[in-house]
Amino acid sequence: MTVLKVRDLRIRYADNQPEILKGISFDVEDSDFMAIIGPSGAGKSTLIRCINRLVEPTSGSIELFGQDVLALKGTALRQLRRNVGMIFQEFNLINRMSVMDNVLSGRLGYTGNLRSLFRAFPQSDISRALALLDRVGLSDHVNKRADELSGGQRQRVGIARALMQQPKLLLLDEPTSALDPKISREVMGLIREIASELRVPALCNIHDVQLAKESCNRIIGLQDGYKKFDGETGTLRDRDLEEIYAMEVL
Amino acid sequence: MTMTETNPGPAPDSGQTWSRYGATGAATRHATLLAVLVFLGYSLHFLNVDLSRLLGTFSGVWRVVSDRYYPPEIAYVANAGYLGAILDTLQMSFLGGFIGVVCAIPLAWFSAWNVTPSRRILFPLGRLGVISSRAIHETIWTILFVSILGFGMLAGVSALTMFCIGFAGKLFADEIEAVDMGPVEAMRSAGASDLQVFVWAVVPQVRVAFTGIAIYTWDVAFRAATVVGFFGGGGMGWYLKRNIQQLENTKVSAIILSIIAMVLIAEVFSGWVRARVNRAK
Repeated sequence: MTVLKVRDLRIRYADNQPEILKGISFDVEDSDFMAIIGPSGAGKSTLIRCINRLVEPTSGSIELFGQDVLALKGTALRQLRRNVGMIFQEFNLINRMSVMDNVLSGRLGYTGNLRSLFRAFPQSDISRALALLDRVGLSDHVNKRADELSGGQRQRVGIARALMQQPKLLLLDEPTSALDPKISREVMGLIREIASELRVPALCNIHDVQLAKESCNRIIGLQDGYKKFDGETGTLRDRDLEEIYAMEVL
Repeated sequence: MTMTETNPGPAPDSGQTWSRYGATGAATRHATLLAVLVFLGYSLHFLNVDLSRLLGTFSGVWRVVSDRYYPPEIAYVANAGYLGAILDTLQMSFLGGFIGVVCAIPLAWFSAWNVTPSRRILFPLGRLGVISSRAIHETIWTILFVSILGFGMLAGVSALTMFCIGFAGKLFADEIEAVDMGPVEAMRSAGASDLQVFVWAVVPQVRVAFTGIAIYTWDVAFRAATVVGFFGGGGMGWYLKRNIQQLENTKVSAIILSIIAMVLIAEVFSGWVRARVNRAK
């Protein structure tokens, strides 16, 4: 089943600036773990942020779970966002809060303003948070401050926070780029495992082509705002890579 | 090869030239500097500052102080009435600072471009609120409130509140605009409301800075409270005004000394607390 349909997506940040995305179209199926590869500045981060409207596209259409994303406003947009878990390159944790509070913050979309003001989350959220922290291997760090953890541990908090949303789609923005090669593979493996356990499709920006080939079943190649490749991982040839990374090779 | 021989190395003379600002850039810079100097000279000329009179003031000040204001009547500032006025001034600055800071937080949130709940409506309203309380000086606020509410502490507290809204609001907003947007983005992507984004992603980042600013605001409000009193807001300033009008010069000098002492104490205290707060990262 198709979860996400993107058609002719275009964006420019200001009228006098060049387009960042120049008519991107693709589909994500419910069984996909899809990689978006491409050189720096190709528009990978912008593309992934358009899906949950952290960035406003200029034109085109995005259909997510059968809903027209670009037509949503206010509460409806927030309800869509809570169905989409996001994991960031720089983790984006709240450094001065505990690991537990960081994980619970993934429930904000389901929690009323007053309750969240007093951090009074329902018991079900608390037990879910503890279970997820156990799953990502952080049971011993529940009450530590987020900034006391190592990079790999922080990204595990980020994973648990995204999963708190009970997401139907995961957006991963270079989830391993701030980590060393060994930890990168561990973290990517964990995300991969959990995504298939929970049957959540994922869309993943990644610049490590080798890691993309290892962990993803489909790959999209972006270059300078154009889609240069779209296919099963096995069909990606060196020739395609040369074309995607042409700008860098030159 | 001897030591005196210079090695042209990998950087040969290319014969090209380079200038840092370019022709128009340099002209603009020089013209601006010239304009500032000309205006300075013009202002001095216009003021008609007489150098010999300026130097003469020093001996004049000394004569006036030693003849009329010395010795300060310390007993006057040690009596119960005046000590009560010091307490009034303290309370006034505390109340004004507290209410002002509480009002300044939402205004700063509205008027911070990066996380404002609405860029079209609340942002300009928040900016307007902060700017208008800053635009009017605390003495003018006092005169306004005295004419509405009558003499006394209520007018003083109201004037100080307005002063603190402008003072803290501006500093709070600057602090909010400098936060790391990463957590803000993360909370938004989780479906958090604007209020939730502020409380969860912004407040933890600015909490320490806000505490420091709040204490600093009280310190500045205390200094302003003495002036506010002078214009009818009650407290130490009110005593100052009365004694000036009655030409009780030795009492005036004692009051001025007490104000200097209190402001110094407030400043040292606030500096000490702020240093402690800043260590609690």
